[in-house]
Amino acid sequence: MSDHPLPERVRVLSVLVEDGPNTLSKVSGLIRRRGFHVRSISVGPSRQAGRSRITLQIDHGHAEADQVRKQLERLVEVIEIEDVTGQLVHSRELVVAKVKSAEVAGLVEKGAKVLDTGPDGTTVEFAGEGKDVGDFIDELFQHGILDVARSGPVVLRRTA
Amino acid sequence: MILEALEREDVEYIFGYPGGANLPIYQHLPDHPKLKHILVRHEQGAAHMADGYARACGKPGVVFATSGPGALNLVTGLATAYMDSVPMIAITGQVASTQVGRDAFQETDVIGATSSVTKHSYLVTSIDQLPRVIHEAFHIATTGRPGPVLIDICKDVQQANAEPVGRERLDIPGYQLNGHVDLDRAGEAARAVAGAERPVILAGHGVILSHAEAELREFAEKAGAPVGTTLLGVGAFPVNHPLSLHMTGFMGTGWNLKAVQNADVLMMVGMRVDDRVTARLADFAPNVKTFIHIDIDGSEMGKNVRPHVELVADAKNALGAMTPHIGELHEGRGQWFSQIDAWREEHPLKYTHSNGHLQPQDVLIDMYRRCRNEAIVVADVGQNQIWAALWWNYDRPGLFLNSGGSGTMGFALPAAIGAKFGRPDKAVWCVAGEGGFVMTAQELSVAVEHQLDIKIVILNNFSLGMVRQFQDDFYGGVRSQSDLTHMPDFVKLADAYGLPAIRVDRFDEIGPAMDAAEKTKGPFLIDFRIDPEANVYPIVPLGKSLNDFWEAPDK
Repeated sequence: MSDHPLPERVRVLSVLVEDGPNTLSKVSGLIRRRGFHVRSISVGPSRQAGRSRITLQIDHGHAEADQVRKQLERLVEVIEIEDVTGQLVHSRELVVAKVKSAEVAGLVEKGAKVLDTGPDGTTVEFAGEGKDVGDFIDELFQHGILDVARSGPVVLRRTA
Repeated sequence: MILEALEREDVEYIFGYPGGANLPIYQHLPDHPKLKHILVRHEQGAAHMADGYARACGKPGVVFATSGPGALNLVTGLATAYMDSVPMIAITGQVASTQVGRDAFQETDVIGATSSVTKHSYLVTSIDQLPRVIHEAFHIATTGRPGPVLIDICKDVQQANAEPVGRERLDIPGYQLNGHVDLDRAGEAARAVAGAERPVILAGHGVILSHAEAELREFAEKAGAPVGTTLLGVGAFPVNHPLSLHMTGFMGTGWNLKAVQNADVLMMVGMRVDDRVTARLADFAPNVKTFIHIDIDGSEMGKNVRPHVELVADAKNALGAMTPHIGELHEGRGQWFSQIDAWREEHPLKYTHSNGHLQPQDVLIDMYRRCRNEAIVVADVGQNQIWAALWWNYDRPGLFLNSGGSGTMGFALPAAIGAKFGRPDKAVWCVAGEGGFVMTAQELSVAVEHQLDIKIVILNNFSLGMVRQFQDDFYGGVRSQSDLTHMPDFVKLADAYGLPAIRVDRFDEIGPAMDAAEKTKGPFLIDFRIDPEANVYPIVPLGKSLNDFWEAPDK
């Protein structure tokens, strides 16, 4: 996923949508039926009440790159789309992982936070950009990775 | 409350069918005599009637259906309207909001089932949402690129009481009619067409939807550019006009396809540029240096063909903005016209009528001689549709209605019924094959009940004609499951439904049968038993380029 450089066919879109029972299924249904593929999706409330922000990484397959944005724009539930592919953005993904080892200094050095330690292992969290997350996952394997949960990236344009 | 809202939207006709989950609406229907309800015999018929109504008179068609099977029976009709950008409002009953998700009786996730075939949809779970939703739905269905909007209303909401409210102000942040004409690009586009040595304009349904036929004609005449139409664009430009290239696409005329394939500038107006227009995409219009695409829906730009100049606007605005910028025409234009004339001579529309069988073209030519451009022709899907498109010289929009994008068999009869409700002043002719006709034949009851003056022409070739033709030519000659010898006696069928009918087997019977149809007030059916081997020509073999069209064999 995001630990490898994105192939050219992948667009990163930040989509502001109206909250509603049908919104997510309409967004994902549209992506599917236009022949695109979701590589990652994260959804959360936006700053405005009644609106959510969806961050999508989409492989547009054989279609022209701008088709993903244009098709999503047709949905009435979609209020605003920013195509942030290759732009100056802050991109962060959260990783929560459980490792066997209690010796996690190497992970902490990389920026991980220890959430708990017990006889069965240690739980750590890490947030970072795509490449850092990839490096962190590699590091986890050295510590006997038991389980991992990843959020998929959230993206916002840089202020400067 | 629902019915009051519909009255506020100036709804005249509702095509519908009652059932468990929409009975509260029907209970109050008699209190609203301004809303004329047409009871259909199958919900698909309701959707096609609303579609035909909207195509004929321009107002959105309104449909009622109950939950579950009722709503699901609309899906084909919604898809048909969606593909052809027809404004429609479908109001479906849903189980009570407290029952949703419990697999209640006749419960279906209608929003889920229809999302891909509607422009927008709403599930209404509370009475407060209702006035806003209905007003928004009409706005969305009829503006921008039109399309069907579905409103799924829970039964308890239908039964709830609320104070009547006025029309709400619209506030739909995710729906901006952001079509714009970039005037600089409009000038560039106009000069590109005028300065081209071999320009071609193709006009689609968008020209008709935006009422841009006068603007198109003015632009084409001033820019000296020949105009072809798509199947849904038939009527956007008069076939008898000297600049007309008639219909394009894989069953278009030979001279049209030659012109498209040799054009150096191709301007596509109000069309989707789908595979039926381009045939093999890699070989579509290979000599074009400048593609110009005009459409109200920005997502059409580059969806199939990447234009060099794109104008996101409705055809009327775009063409109006372009015409003043036409400027000098290329000096080679005369030569281009002579070349097109030569192709027209070389590749005329033709058909065989020497084998003793009744030919469908003879039927249509007789019809055209009678109706000229005063009747609405509603075609079904298949050979009958292409014959009806090619053998009438439509000179204005709105006379030829058909399911172009979705290709829905069974469309013609209910759509013709809807068209007659929408345009009672017009003669309406329904042209269908026997295969498509029986798919929605139950709606004959509606035509008889309302004594609608529609003439039903069945071009009966005892087979799924287009399928049979494809099998003969492209699938190894294996006539698999395309035989329709076992069909009802259509004259007896008509009699059972209560309308007069005649069977025609010979050329010299066409005239008298048509006379009888025209003289009869109310519905009339003619079963034309045509040449079972009759084919549609020209045709581009599947997967081939437009250059490779086949013509009718000389016999």
